[in-house]
Amino acid sequence: MVSTFASMADFLAPAQASFPEGVGSVTLAHYLFVSVAMFTMGLIGFLTRRNLIIMFLCTEMMFQAAGIALIAFSRFYLHHTGQSFVIFVLTVAAAEAALALALVVLLFRGRESLNADQWHSLKG
Amino acid sequence: MAEVITPLILYVAVILGGVGVWMALPRKRVNPQIIGGLVAAIAGGLVLIGLGLRAREVEGGLPNLYFYVFAAIALGASLRVITHQRPVYAALYFILTILSSAGLYLLLAAEFMAFALIIIYAGAILITYLFVIMMATQAPSEEEVDVLAEYDLQAREPLAAVFAGFLILGALSVMIFTGASKLPGEAEIRAQAPHPDHMLELLPRRVERVLQDEGLISGRERIVREARGVLSLDPETRTAVVARTVDPDGDPAGGFIPGSEREIELPDHLRARNVESLAYDFLNRHPMTIEIAGVILLMAMLGAVVLSRRQVDIDDERKRQQAERRLRDAEEARL
Amino acid sequence: MQTTTPQLAETIGALGLGAADTGAALEVATGPAWAMLIPMLPLLGAAIMGVCAIMGVRSKLPAWITVGLLGFSAVLAAAMYAWLPENGRAVSVAWEWINVSWGDEPGQTLKANFGFYIDSLTCLWMLFVTLLATLIALYASEYMSHDLGAGYCRFFAAFNLFVFSMACLVMGDNLLLLFLGWEGVGLCSYLLIGYHYKKHSAVFAAKKAFIVNRIGDLGLLLGVFLTFVHFGTLEYKDLFPMVQPYIEAMRQGAVGDIPAVVQLIPVLLMIGAFGKSAQLPLFVWLPDAMEGPTPVSALIHAATMVTAGVYLIARMYPLFLVSEWALPIVAWVGGLTALVAATIAMAQFDIKRIMAYSTVSQLGFMFCGLAFLSSVGGAFHVVTHAFFKATLFLCCGAVMHGFAGQLDLRKLSGVSFMKGWGIVGIAMFIGCLNLAGFPFTAGYFSKDMILAEAFITPGPGYQFLGVILLLTAGITAYYTFRVFFRVFVGPKQFEPGDELHGHDGHIDDHHEEHGSASRATEADEGHTPGDHEPMGGSVEERGKKTHEHPEHFHPHAPGWAINGVLATLAILSVLAAALYFFPGADKSHKGWAGGMISGSSAALVVGGEADHPTRLAAFVGAEPEQGTLFGQDPHKIMYYVSGVIGFVGIAIAFALHYAGRKESERSAANNLLQVKPIRTAHRWANAKWYVDELYDFALRKPLWAASQIFHLIDKLLIDGLVNLVGYLPRALGKGVRPSQSGVLHSYAAAMAGGLAVILLIVLLLSL
Repeated sequence: MVSTFASMADFLAPAQASFPEGVGSVTLAHYLFVSVAMFTMGLIGFLTRRNLIIMFLCTEMMFQAAGIALIAFSRFYLHHTGQSFVIFVLTVAAAEAALALALVVLLFRGRESLNADQWHSLKG
Repeated sequence: MAEVITPLILYVAVILGGVGVWMALPRKRVNPQIIGGLVAAIAGGLVLIGLGLRAREVEGGLPNLYFYVFAAIALGASLRVITHQRPVYAALYFILTILSSAGLYLLLAAEFMAFALIIIYAGAILITYLFVIMMATQAPSEEEVDVLAEYDLQAREPLAAVFAGFLILGALSVMIFTGASKLPGEAEIRAQAPHPDHMLELLPRRVERVLQDEGLISGRERIVREARGVLSLDPETRTAVVARTVDPDGDPAGGFIPGSEREIELPDHLRARNVESLAYDFLNRHPMTIEIAGVILLMAMLGAVVLSRRQVDIDDERKRQQAERRLRDAEEARL
Repeated sequence: MQTTTPQLAETIGALGLGAADTGAALEVATGPAWAMLIPMLPLLGAAIMGVCAIMGVRSKLPAWITVGLLGFSAVLAAAMYAWLPENGRAVSVAWEWINVSWGDEPGQTLKANFGFYIDSLTCLWMLFVTLLATLIALYASEYMSHDLGAGYCRFFAAFNLFVFSMACLVMGDNLLLLFLGWEGVGLCSYLLIGYHYKKHSAVFAAKKAFIVNRIGDLGLLLGVFLTFVHFGTLEYKDLFPMVQPYIEAMRQGAVGDIPAVVQLIPVLLMIGAFGKSAQLPLFVWLPDAMEGPTPVSALIHAATMVTAGVYLIARMYPLFLVSEWALPIVAWVGGLTALVAATIAMAQFDIKRIMAYSTVSQLGFMFCGLAFLSSVGGAFHVVTHAFFKATLFLCCGAVMHGFAGQLDLRKLSGVSFMKGWGIVGIAMFIGCLNLAGFPFTAGYFSKDMILAEAFITPGPGYQFLGVILLLTAGITAYYTFRVFFRVFVGPKQFEPGDELHGHDGHIDDHHEEHGSASRATEADEGHTPGDHEPMGGSVEERGKKTHEHPEHFHPHAPGWAINGVLATLAILSVLAAALYFFPGADKSHKGWAGGMISGSSAALVVGGEADHPTRLAAFVGAEPEQGTLFGQDPHKIMYYVSGVIGFVGIAIAFALHYAGRKESERSAANNLLQVKPIRTAHRWANAKWYVDELYDFALRKPLWAASQIFHLIDKLLIDGLVNLVGYLPRALGKGVRPSQSGVLHSYAAAMAGGLAVILLIVLLLSL
């Protein structure tokens, strides 16, 4: 199985050397651009959408963008800490999803609506 | 200032992208989502083509084709997440984003993270999202088949949000593309980074099993241990020193027979895996962070339980009555 | 002022003060520990009085305890005098009181012990303070007997506290302890003047005394501060040697070498002395202080507390000597006060108030004595005055006690001849003779010493001041015997006053609408208690109406305690004259008092052997061998001159108020009043030269107006600023509040916008 994964990576990255090889700074910029663009999408989504669930999805997307940047740097510096941090990002994302969705359920029970604009006073 | 991409192209692309996203955002009457999507795609394509052209000039700078594929899918899907009027579709598109991100992870040789991402995100988190979305969305009725909530149909202040978002995008892109040239070169990084295979020094069982499978060492031969159990193995030259153990079953704790040492060459496919390196980094360097992550998850679990519990007020009197009734029922059943 | 300085310097130089012997004289021995009991016993007494008040003692026990403790203090004071060491100086330290240090340099340590400086000046003061306090406490035991209970305890508690404070003032070995005592006696004075706290005039008088005293205390406090700043110590034993160089400089005429600060210190201290001793600008409180019970007037406001100013100057005499301004100011203030107070006393009708003004006047004499470089004269006059003025006050008090608060000299007559009033009459006569300066009385000798020095001491207009003082002596004789001839001799007639025993109740009623200083005026206008009681013509009628009983009003004669005390004091007043002849320790011709002074800090200049010819040499300059005034010993001249003036004063009083007394409209005095200038002068003097009104107009009203202005400033500017500080955040909040809409998206947009701006700034900076 292990060798299968390794050869699959080889198949997916023919222009690169196998794992020990790094990526150039120009290639790093490619990945970072994707990360930034995805982050922007998440941000815009968070700002424009009114549905609470979609807003939370957008925050997850921003997490994901950060994850891509971390992995790209991990690869660039040939260092695994970047990947370790993605694990933590996943942890936080999971915790956030659990709490946020619990909150959404709670809020939805109160108002029968997912519109974020409906909750603008502290006393609900 | 050596930039990765000419600023003109970048600025045009950022503006175009902004316009495209703005057009694609949901609104009530005229809804030029397709045009907006196209414009945004053109902008994204412009940047990617610019990047590709620039990368050709630099040796080893060109990412492979799959990068373009995954990047395009990821960005397109993310655009769809924020523009789709139906939350369920948005969530499904988000899964697509996750999957293509996992593809990018694979390209970056982070296969463990790629599959963890799919399992955790696409498998667990997004399913929860879908579950909540379905629970919280009004079911279609006889009269109205296609029920869409009012708040899903219309974006809120799209222009301001897009302006702010693409301002950030532009600024960050310029930083990335100017900063990339200031990063250290590959040789420099390689000199500082540990050899990728140095993990093998810490994995005696696996190395010795592979060597035995290959028939390079006999049953009593083991790699010589240095201080604190580290193997005498050189990842640079891919050689190791083996010796016969005193113990007939090959337990290295019993010591080695002096004079029996010999140097062997490691087989080519014996390399440290990503998971091994990641696990070592994870557990060796961030033990405290793991604890904190655990506490966060525990708190999240408790919080979710407390928050989503349905609050029902049953006074003590009724609880007592209920208990008595059950007790009576049980006694009657026994009789 | 400039012209006087060389003269003063010459004088000091001529007195033969040597730096060497003073240096030796300033060695300080360690005093006995039991000396500390002198102030502590009264303090203990005050505490016991508090316990008595709590236990609700309704007997005369507090008085006997007080008399016992004060008597023991007096015995200890005598023992202290007997113990006095050879060089005359000792310090007993009870405990370390203040010791604050903020550096190692000299002058960076504030050290003040609760310690007592024992020298002959201390002994002199403590002897008469404790003795008089004991006697007056005995007197008060009877005098205050109508108030048995909590009031009685309160009176004696304050009385004890006063003696403690006075002892601290006199015995303290540093200026800070002196200041503590100074404030303590002020407090006790306040408490005792306001003893009848339900009586508005008493409360006003107490407040007036307290506030006027604070003005003087500010001067004293500044003087103490300046002393510390300049000399770096407040302890006498360290302070006096530091003054020696300046005295030396003064002796050699190098006044310019003395820093202005050193010359300023005594001027500031002097202001404190003026306040406490009721001198010219600040004398207004003392006459009003007569609202207190008479024993208080006798002890505090005649004999002891008001002499604290004299004590202060005598104690700090070295400092006063090195200032070219201080003593001349003291002289002129004292002289003018003496005259002004005497003229006011002439026109008053309230006998206690007359005694109060005479106290002010006599204090002026004492200040003059100090200023004329005759601290012996000043101190001797303090002692004699303490005894005879206490006698006079206590006599007045006995009259007041017996005649239900009647003090108007027009409504009393022939008191001495009434049954049981003989001792009071005799004591009063002795006191009056002393005050009038009748030859061969103690007052005669002590006043004489001061008067004589006026003519032989160089200073700005001192001779003229001497003439003023002589005139004042004559006036004093007149008004003293005016009281005596009016009240104590003549036909037996009286109208009882309005203060029947157990009187507190109805006194409030009719005093309410009157100010503190109105009593004399009321008496002048023939004021009667309450409108419902018309002025009775005859004694019988009057007595019926005033008393509930059908009998006539009977003045009750003083009991054994009052009589005993009065007799003792009268005898002591007579015997005080002997102190003038009784040789002192150094066999000086100035007698016992001179001996006492010569051993103390007040005597550094007027050292025992300083003789008239020497002093006159400085004054006359060219003809030292004359050494006399008009070719005679000035003191001898004064014996005759002042004796004659005293006789004249008494004779006028006799003519106007005894021989010339007929029916009230046609008496000699009233005839005299028909002359217009005299009537005008009389009216003015009766109104106390309108000093109170002047202060009201010149100080109180402007201050009130200023306070209104400041109140307005405070309200508009300060409050406005404070309110603005409060208003600004509110307005800001009002402006910003709409942004806190609670809408999630607006917050997120603000965050995103902020992030964009920050990124742009970073980008532009990095480009």
